[in-house]
Amino acid sequence: MASTQLSDEELFSELKLFGFTPGPVTENTRPVYLKKLKKLREEQQQRGSRPGKTRSSGAINSTAGGGNTAGSRPASHDVTHLSSSRRPGRKSSVLGFSSDESDAETPLKRKGLNYSSKADRSSGFPQQPKIRPVTTPRVASKSQYGAASTLNINNSSPGPCGQRSVSSGWGVRARSSPEAEGRDYDESGDEDYYEGDLEKNSRSLNGCGASHLNTSKLAADYSDSDEEEVVALSAGEQQRVRLEQRRSYQKAGFPFHGVGRGSQAGGAARQVNPPDSLNMLGTRREEGEEDEVKRRDSDPSGGFRSHNFPRKSIYVSLAENHGGEAGHNNHVDGEDGASRSGSSSRFAIGLRPRFSNYSSLSQTYRSNHSNHTAPNHSYSQALLKQKLSVPEDELLQQFKRDEVASSGSFSAHYLSMFLLTAACLFFLLLGLMYLRMRGSGSSEVDGVIKSHPFGSDFDTYDKETKDLILKLLLSLHDHLANVAGQHDCGDQQHPNRSLSMKEASAYLLTQNQEFGGFIETALEWIIRTGQDVGIRLTGTLADEPLTDWSEISQLESTHPKMPFTCRFRRAFFTVISRVFLIAVVVACVGSVVCYMKYRWRREEEETRQMYDMVERIIDVLRSHSEACQENQDLQPYLPIPHVRDSLVQPQDRKKMKKVWERAVRFLSANESRIRKETQRIGGADFLVWRWIQPSLSCDKTSLMPSKVWQGKAFPLDRRNSPPNSLTPCLKIRNMFDPVMEVGENWDLVIHEAILEKCNDNDGIVHIAVDKNSREGCVYVKCLSAEHSGRAFKALHGSWFDGKLVTVKYLRLDRYHQRFPQAQGSSTPLKASSLHASATEAASAAARPQHRVSTNSSGFS
Amino acid sequence: MSSTSQKHKDFVAEPMGEKPVTALAGIGEVLGQRLEGKGFDKAYVVLGQFLVLKKDEELFRDWLKDTCKANVKQQGDCFGCLKEWCDAFL
Repeated sequence: MASTQLSDEELFSELKLFGFTPGPVTENTRPVYLKKLKKLREEQQQRGSRPGKTRSSGAINSTAGGGNTAGSRPASHDVTHLSSSRRPGRKSSVLGFSSDESDAETPLKRKGLNYSSKADRSSGFPQQPKIRPVTTPRVASKSQYGAASTLNINNSSPGPCGQRSVSSGWGVRARSSPEAEGRDYDESGDEDYYEGDLEKNSRSLNGCGASHLNTSKLAADYSDSDEEEVVALSAGEQQRVRLEQRRSYQKAGFPFHGVGRGSQAGGAARQVNPPDSLNMLGTRREEGEEDEVKRRDSDPSGGFRSHNFPRKSIYVSLAENHGGEAGHNNHVDGEDGASRSGSSSRFAIGLRPRFSNYSSLSQTYRSNHSNHTAPNHSYSQALLKQKLSVPEDELLQQFKRDEVASSGSFSAHYLSMFLLTAACLFFLLLGLMYLRMRGSGSSEVDGVIKSHPFGSDFDTYDKETKDLILKLLLSLHDHLANVAGQHDCGDQQHPNRSLSMKEASAYLLTQNQEFGGFIETALEWIIRTGQDVGIRLTGTLADEPLTDWSEISQLESTHPKMPFTCRFRRAFFTVISRVFLIAVVVACVGSVVCYMKYRWRREEEETRQMYDMVERIIDVLRSHSEACQENQDLQPYLPIPHVRDSLVQPQDRKKMKKVWERAVRFLSANESRIRKETQRIGGADFLVWRWIQPSLSCDKTSLMPSKVWQGKAFPLDRRNSPPNSLTPCLKIRNMFDPVMEVGENWDLVIHEAILEKCNDNDGIVHIAVDKNSREGCVYVKCLSAEHSGRAFKALHGSWFDGKLVTVKYLRLDRYHQRFPQAQGSSTPLKASSLHASATEAASAAARPQHRVSTNSSGFS
Repeated sequence: MSSTSQKHKDFVAEPMGEKPVTALAGIGEVLGQRLEGKGFDKAYVVLGQFLVLKKDEELFRDWLKDTCKANVKQQGDCFGCLKEWCDAFL
């Protein structure tokens, strides 16, 4: 464009041609308006190719019929809206959304949107005539969705340029693809759309600049995952893929799928989603759309599926790559249903990258074949597959993890619950089994008594006898166990734990008549064996080992058998009591520890207070001694109680008593500069402290900030200083505080300071320090205005002795009115060289005499 | 819904009078120097430019960027400051 040669008027009129009323074109506004003109011109180009598409899309919409109401119309409206007024409405919407978007992105995005929408139209247009005759209700729904997607895309906050353009491109494709169902048209159509979009996008790329390229590249990375998503278009798969892939997601792609699935409750879902997404960032709307699409997907229509996923072949290949993920489908579905709102945000995050993926995919697609038609689509498909496979794998892996996480997070809850209950049950069972085993003891079955503790001698009996004896013993053992168990359980039937011999024999005889003869032998065997067979035999005299069965008086079981509930109860109580005991012990230990910590903290606190007090005492004493040096009327010691009362508030005295005592002790033990003595004050004897460190003379002066210049507060420039010096007289403020000045000749110190600061400027002829001014004013007269200007620059805004000095010009006549002696002064004053080296008051005292002489000479 | 800075509030609170250009929100030392170098040494001169551009945000932002290389945030702050001042006093 020959915009550089445009004059202002031409620029003005050109801008007006675009319907834009510019302000005045001045030298400042010229570049801005040139840019604007360029933008408007590019827009016009896009617009020129667009009107046809809007018409065609409008036609499609109309043919589509009822389904097309809100979706398509707002889309076309949006497009025109975009084309016509770039800034106002969209800017607000854009601004409203993208609070964190960069400025560079915003215009680019907008441009991208313009271009993309134009691109859609342009790309869609050539295809329209072919496809138009094949309008079906599907088209309507599809276009509706596509339009809705574009609408949403347009409305949502701007993402990267590429996404936008591609998504809208997708939307357009969506519109036309259903018409080409069952034909290679789909693929070719898509290809062409891709190409068309590519062209437009490349143009938009040029227009948008590098960022657009970057975003499209980014989208390219994602497009693989997009493809993946698209691949899993089978009902469950699709959802799974969506769940898996938390990539930027081109909504446009999904509307395709969603449309294929069936237009179920599209409106409702959409309403649900946008509110959801509105809660998130504006970009999430896209994902909301996707969610909605997903839900739509749950109602698959197989035929549509094949068609509506134009890149089905690619998708199939992708699906094959991720066959293993099919298992997650159900999970995902359930998850989807269950935690819709919660997961929608997650999906949103995931979808967004997919969105950009889609765009990038289409971008790569287009970039792969510039102007090829259908025949090349196989090549591009292969390429696409290739491209998809590599980054797709990574993305898939990412998504697998994510999906696992997502599905896991849903089922993880139940899983954890399940595991917990399983563990509890397991332990319960274990405990029960343990109890039962303990209770049952050695549950030997009758007649299976092979092992016995009687040793090999027992085997001399014949088998029958052996069996009998063993059975006898077993039954005896069991009976005794029962008795003991019941006794232990508090059963009142058996007051005695043990059975007497008579009772035992009677019981055994009731069991089996044959036992009778063998009772004695059995018992003898028990006696003979040293092992514990579960029966304890006690004689009439306790603690006496039995030797013969006749001595036996009581039989007792050592393995009592208790009923289960009783056992359980006992175990329970045991456990409880033990736990209680442990808790008590732990509590005791804990309390002891806490108490120790508390005590330790208290002690630390007190020590700190004590040191604080000591320091304050030392300060008081030192300052008192210094005061005493100056003022000889004071006593050089201080009574201790007086010190205490001056340091400690009356209300704290009782509290701090302990601290004070410790401080006093500390001082007497550890402080060498304070001596405790007894003095008679006012007739009473006091313990006093005397500060006995001779004061260091250099201490005082070195500690105080002396009168020095301490640097500049702000740089002097035109803003805060007059551009040229006006008069030769200056009034310097805030150089001292008359109340605080101590000592003689401090004004001479001021003189010296000023001269020192302006030592390069040898034009100062008179300095007067106004000792009584509250503002600390010093009046300076210079030889000429130029000198005063230099002095001004040197002094104004500097820090002196901790005060910020300000300077202003004074009228010469006023100055002479005030200081008549200055009228005659014309000799420049020089700083005394001694002042530069030492700050001693002595030298300052010496200097004034020198200075006075020069002053007087100056005055004369 | 972004909050405004203290500088913004101070500027918008009263007629700008002879305030230097650094009194504008978003214009600090460096930008102020650059603007002054181009001749915009007072806030009212920048206001003049703002009005000449018909208070259009994008044009003003572009102009700011070209003139003193302000970044997005600074542009936004300055524009908002001037706009609000105009709403209040103009």
